[in-house]
Amino acid sequence: MGVKSEKISTQELWARLFKSPSVGDYLEKTGDVCEMLAFSEYISQLCKERQEKPENIIKRSDLESSFGHRLFSGARNPSRDTVLQLAFGFEMDTDDAQQLLKIARVTALHPRVKRDAVIAYCLHHRKSVIEAQQLLYDNNLPLMGGKRNEK
Amino acid sequence: MKNDDLLQTILESYDDSNYPEAFVSEYDIMECLSDQNGICTFLVQKKDGENCIAKCYDKLRWGISDNSAILHNLDHDGLPKHIATFESDTMTVTVREYVEGLPLSRYAKENDLSEKEIVQICVRLCDILGYLHHREAPIIHRDIKPQNIIVRPDGSVALIDFDIARIYRSGNETDTMFFGTQAYAPPEQYGFSQTDARTDIYSLGVLLRWLLTGSTKENKNIRVYRPLARIISKCTGFAPQERFADVSQLKKALLQANPKSQGLRIAVTVLCAVLAAGLLIFAGVKIYQAVTYTPFTADAIPAYLSDEERVADAVAYMKDKYGTNMFDEADDVSTVGDLRAAMIDLYGLDRDYVYGINTEMPQESDEYFMPWGWDDGQTVDRDIAVYAAVKAHDPSIVADWSSIKDDNGYYPGVRAAAAFAEETGIMTGANRPGDITLGELALILANTDRVFDTAEER
Repeated sequence: MGVKSEKISTQELWARLFKSPSVGDYLEKTGDVCEMLAFSEYISQLCKERQEKPENIIKRSDLESSFGHRLFSGARNPSRDTVLQLAFGFEMDTDDAQQLLKIARVTALHPRVKRDAVIAYCLHHRKSVIEAQQLLYDNNLPLMGGKRNEK
Repeated sequence: MKNDDLLQTILESYDDSNYPEAFVSEYDIMECLSDQNGICTFLVQKKDGENCIAKCYDKLRWGISDNSAILHNLDHDGLPKHIATFESDTMTVTVREYVEGLPLSRYAKENDLSEKEIVQICVRLCDILGYLHHREAPIIHRDIKPQNIIVRPDGSVALIDFDIARIYRSGNETDTMFFGTQAYAPPEQYGFSQTDARTDIYSLGVLLRWLLTGSTKENKNIRVYRPLARIISKCTGFAPQERFADVSQLKKALLQANPKSQGLRIAVTVLCAVLAAGLLIFAGVKIYQAVTYTPFTADAIPAYLSDEERVADAVAYMKDKYGTNMFDEADDVSTVGDLRAAMIDLYGLDRDYVYGINTEMPQESDEYFMPWGWDDGQTVDRDIAVYAAVKAHDPSIVADWSSIKDDNGYYPGVRAAAAFAEETGIMTGANRPGDITLGELALILANTDRVFDTAEER
């Protein structure tokens, strides 16, 4: 933020990267979440639709197995980083990842945040969670599943 | 990874030099919580992992440094602590404590809040606003809404987001016009007049309505607990002067309207009413008793006895009470001597008093017990016995010393004794007006004792 020309260019790049230019709109609409599915139900349903076992998703998310299962059973609520890791596990694109974040009631990926830009870029290019972590590391940004506590 | 060139282009577009250098070196930006009006709110992470909230103000739009010092000094449990302020040429960044918990907007939807809990939340907000409003330089929050209230895991609440409070400058009406959240903003916040503490009171009223009804607008179809409805109505008066003048008044009203305290109040009121009614009935009964009080009533005398049984009962009573055998020959005729002996031996009257005779007969006086010059051997008729018995207990009842005799040749004192005896039942069982037996003397004495003993008990 701050200098206008750069602000515009970042958003343009974001828009170029991800078809949906409506992150702002999305953020404003996150308020009403009461009729949404519980997160655990949503990810379990996704597994069924894709005919995949949660084990595979958890593995691809690079999450600890028992913790991952507790997310699927609803025994734990995920942090934002965990949701992002699951988005990699489900091999989601950015739009689907934003939807997943919304259902988990955590903040969306935002073009103002450099770290989010890296993660969104990796999702868009279907990189693995390990590759994404590597890119975060290379750019001196906090890794996913770092220090923030789970709720 | 040729695609990664694109990433580098993107990353290069993030010009960290906009941010104050010290801020960038100390904090990682993790999430963007809001981005509007030239103010970006980020969740940031200190290098040690601690989460904080950073607000980045575009200096081209907001000259805020003069106001920020006011907020640094705030120290209240219900307000996030200020951690640091950073400045660059283009940006001011303030970092504050991250308050763990859920925004009230979500907390209220996920929990079915009772009226009591809702009142509790609003009372806590009153405390926080009281702290802000009563400072030397009062701070008006001006954007009170569920999204800006965090309910911590322990149930306490915190008020966050001081953007508007921070940038507000008194007298600058245009600034006040487009901030605040529409549904929660009072009319003056659209420029009708200057805003003050009552602006926050208005918003708190709307918040209370939202918590109770789920809507920020008045809905007549939803019944709101009446004391709370009155508070909402007073908070949201169009003109500021219609509202509570101060949050402390609002807090007081909330506490009084609290269903819990209402319950307690009703209970106390009912208890008081019951006690008052009890007291009134008790007092009424006592007053009635006092007004209609007659110390001597017939209930002292045993009921449902034949005259013979009464005599036997009286002899036994006198024997039991005084340890005397003088009434054993109950059928013998009673004499003046017997009566005098009873007065002296049983009632402890002075012998000279009992045997003395008024020298100026036939006038009575209280100097002597019996004003007649009788011999001990003479028989006693009933009314004389009654006179003696009553006088032994209370001479004032027979103290009518006029000298006009009645048709039976009795003095007024004897008539008074007889009248008293009729009224109180002393004559019960002694139906013959003439000479009496020892048993009947015992009966009259026992009846008189019982009547006076019962009167004393009352």
